[in-house]
Amino acid sequence: MNDKPYAIEIEDLTVAYDIKPVLWDIDIKIPKGVLMAVVGPNGAGKSTLIKAMLGIVKPISGKVLFFNTPLKEYLKKISYVPQKGSVDWDFPTNVLDVVLMGRYGKLGWFKRPTEEDVRIAKEAIKKVGMEDFMDRQISELSGGQQQRVFLARALVQEAEIYLLDEPFQGVDAKTEKEIVNILKELVKAGKTVIVVHHDLQTVKQYFDWVGLIFTRIIAYGPVEDVFTEANIEKTYKSRHNLTLKEPFKC
Amino acid sequence: MPKIKIVLLIIIIGIFLGGCQVDDYYYDKSKINIVTTTAIIADLARNIGQEKVHVYELMGPGIDPHSYNATAGDIRKIQQADLVIFNGLHLEGKMEKVFSNLDKIDKNYLEIGAHYTMDELIYLEDQAVDPHIWFSVTLWKKAATLVCEKLQDMDPENFDYYLDNKNKYFTQLNELDLFIREEISKIPEQSRVLITAHDAFNYFGREYGFEVIGLQGLSSLDEAGIKRISELAEFIVKREIKAIYIENSVPVKTVQALQKAVLSRGFNVKIGGELYSDSLGNKNTIEGTYIGAYKANIIAIVGGLKDE
Amino acid sequence: MLELIFSDYTFRIVALGTILLGIASGLLSSFVTLNKQALVGDALSHAALPGIVLVFMIIKVKNLELLLLGALFFGLIAIGLTNIIKKYSKVKFDSSLALVLSSFFGFGLVLMTIIQKTPTASQAGLNNFIFGQASTMLPHDVYLMLSISILVILLIILFWKELKLFVFNPEFSQALGFNNKYISLLFSGLIVLTVIIGLESVGVILISSLLVAPGVSARQWTNRLSIMVVLSGLFGAISGFFGTIISAISPKMPTGAIIVIVLSVITILSILFGSKRGIIWRQIKNKINNHKIIAYQWLNNSEINSLPIEALQFLTKKNYLAIQNNEYVLTNEGRKLIDYYKEAQE
Repeated sequence: MNDKPYAIEIEDLTVAYDIKPVLWDIDIKIPKGVLMAVVGPNGAGKSTLIKAMLGIVKPISGKVLFFNTPLKEYLKKISYVPQKGSVDWDFPTNVLDVVLMGRYGKLGWFKRPTEEDVRIAKEAIKKVGMEDFMDRQISELSGGQQQRVFLARALVQEAEIYLLDEPFQGVDAKTEKEIVNILKELVKAGKTVIVVHHDLQTVKQYFDWVGLIFTRIIAYGPVEDVFTEANIEKTYKSRHNLTLKEPFKC
Repeated sequence: MPKIKIVLLIIIIGIFLGGCQVDDYYYDKSKINIVTTTAIIADLARNIGQEKVHVYELMGPGIDPHSYNATAGDIRKIQQADLVIFNGLHLEGKMEKVFSNLDKIDKNYLEIGAHYTMDELIYLEDQAVDPHIWFSVTLWKKAATLVCEKLQDMDPENFDYYLDNKNKYFTQLNELDLFIREEISKIPEQSRVLITAHDAFNYFGREYGFEVIGLQGLSSLDEAGIKRISELAEFIVKREIKAIYIENSVPVKTVQALQKAVLSRGFNVKIGGELYSDSLGNKNTIEGTYIGAYKANIIAIVGGLKDE
Repeated sequence: MLELIFSDYTFRIVALGTILLGIASGLLSSFVTLNKQALVGDALSHAALPGIVLVFMIIKVKNLELLLLGALFFGLIAIGLTNIIKKYSKVKFDSSLALVLSSFFGFGLVLMTIIQKTPTASQAGLNNFIFGQASTMLPHDVYLMLSISILVILLIILFWKELKLFVFNPEFSQALGFNNKYISLLFSGLIVLTVIIGLESVGVILISSLLVAPGVSARQWTNRLSIMVVLSGLFGAISGFFGTIISAISPKMPTGAIIVIVLSVITILSILFGSKRGIIWRQIKNKINNHKIIAYQWLNNSEINSLPIEALQFLTKKNYLAIQNNEYVLTNEGRKLIDYYKEAQE
């Protein structure tokens, strides 16, 4: 048993819609300070895993701990970057405003953002290279720029754990490199970063840990050990015949 | 979840409480069964037919004939009836289809409104006919004759019986007419203005020399516009009309809005009472009859408009 | 003539009431349309009908507050039911809305047929809830509208950032620790309240337009949420005001319908001429941009002095070129143009 607590400890996590299981009996222990990719085919439950960790989706069973603390008490220290497609980019707001939203968690109910919050937001915007776009309408941004804004919004949360859902989707090569650099910086500073990733080619290059999922955890751990042909094949070719016998009652 | 069950229970109770009127309809094989639309017509039929008829009205006290929709139960009762009597002239505005089907099913019916000449009827600006003929006692006597003839036609054996009833009823109607004229004379001429929720009393006005103004128009379904309310309020103030009247089958709010408009002009107009316009009062009360309701109306009108 | 109208008591009451209604529904309309729940107001108002009739069946008198409470109750049930259907079945959101909407409304109509046999039912004027009767507004109604409008304004100000976040990115909101259930409840509650106060004036069928059109119109004029919300409130108020004026001048116009028509005119004009997204404006902007692109391509791809005459004339007219010492040279404007498009290509 490690005396240092795991950054994320998931036990027996099961999530289902009706009788179709999306995540089945997930057990993972993720140590602090890793840059971890979560990969798997479409519908494998990668997004659901992140959402279940954050309580956005309610699991049927299972437990998630962050440094031995339950979600409720640790929420403020977790940063979330949702999928780009989860937002209507036609919403009437600009880049600075969106990044400021990341500070709402710290503000809590009712309070308005302060000058300090604005300063932090501007810094994060600079860090992702978007300082020329601060009052640009988000509808005018390219795919890469949108992801950068989302990343900036995550940075201002000043969290310990970062959960990113497909941050490289629809992004140009230059942006992708810049984002990876920022993530690596975070990890160097002792943060733990989990990324739902869709491109198998770049896993070895960007990440030091990987988790292969197809409803179940196929394998997880350091990339060198786990990211093998065999495991990849198992993940992408496997079929599971899992069905819940009776719908679980709440 | 128990909460949903409670909600459902409330809903069901509500429906029962509200919907279940004790339906006292039945078919009497020994009599002529008459189904009428309004209670006013039913009252007439009972007075002419007396023991020989069994009358049922689809629209009870406080029901508005302009907006009434016939239910499936109503249709069944009509089909069973020996005779159907209705007002026509678009009073029962939503039942046109039912009436046009009566010929098809060979039903014996009497459309009272169809028997008046153009001179007898009142037409308004847009050529619409005013259907509220019963407020003219003269015209209502004619209706009584129509009912009498119809019954005599269906039941020739009792020809004299019906004639006798009709004559007795005519006596009562004449008394009513006298009563109305006497009471009205207590109101100074310039104050003989009757303002109500909708245009139900034009025949009363014509017969007895009253200026009659309805806020909403011929049908209770018309909306009283802002302009109309303002104009009428001006009129009330100018003519110093002491009372305006609500009706028992038409929304009260319109008249209340009119009253507020008058009050804002610094004139104190009362709501003089509730008039029976398109319906009668509760059954087995005096106001549940045509004559009783008319008298009650007159008392209210005179009470509100005469000088102290 | 206009002074006569303004000094008229009835006009003032109705105008005040409809302006307040317009403000409340207009403000909410921004959020409702951004949340892509435009049909919710419609579903709510239709669903409220059985609530009103049921309460009347139980109490047998027309007590406005209690009737509206019944409307509120059934409105919330309808929302709950829609959410349950969305969550537990494969039926899509707008389908489940339509289902709930029509079945509740049908149920309400059935109940109305049942109570029409009840005395005093006609006097209660429940029919007026379907199409509204704004002209008979009483001070009592206006007080109700005033209090609810103030409530709506206060709550929007108080929960501004929470509402903004909830509509923009609800998952993120949840992940930050905001309880989406509460915000959603607040949101639905505000909508229900507005529908309730609008029922008697514009009626069940038309109230939904008050919750959709102002927001759609405002969006065409601005890209800032704060301005959009204020503008939509303004549009709501304007339509109430002018709707009342028009129906006050003409003898037989139903106020509620006129208000909706005015609102629709505002919407059409906004979609056509809106300064940020209007169709006409976008055509103009496109044309301007096309000219700029053509100019850039000319300047970028060849020696200035070897350009055809028409090009030179055009470029000079647009001030990208100037004549100096019998030659055409690039102006500052021209230089800026080249830089701008060069950068845009990266």
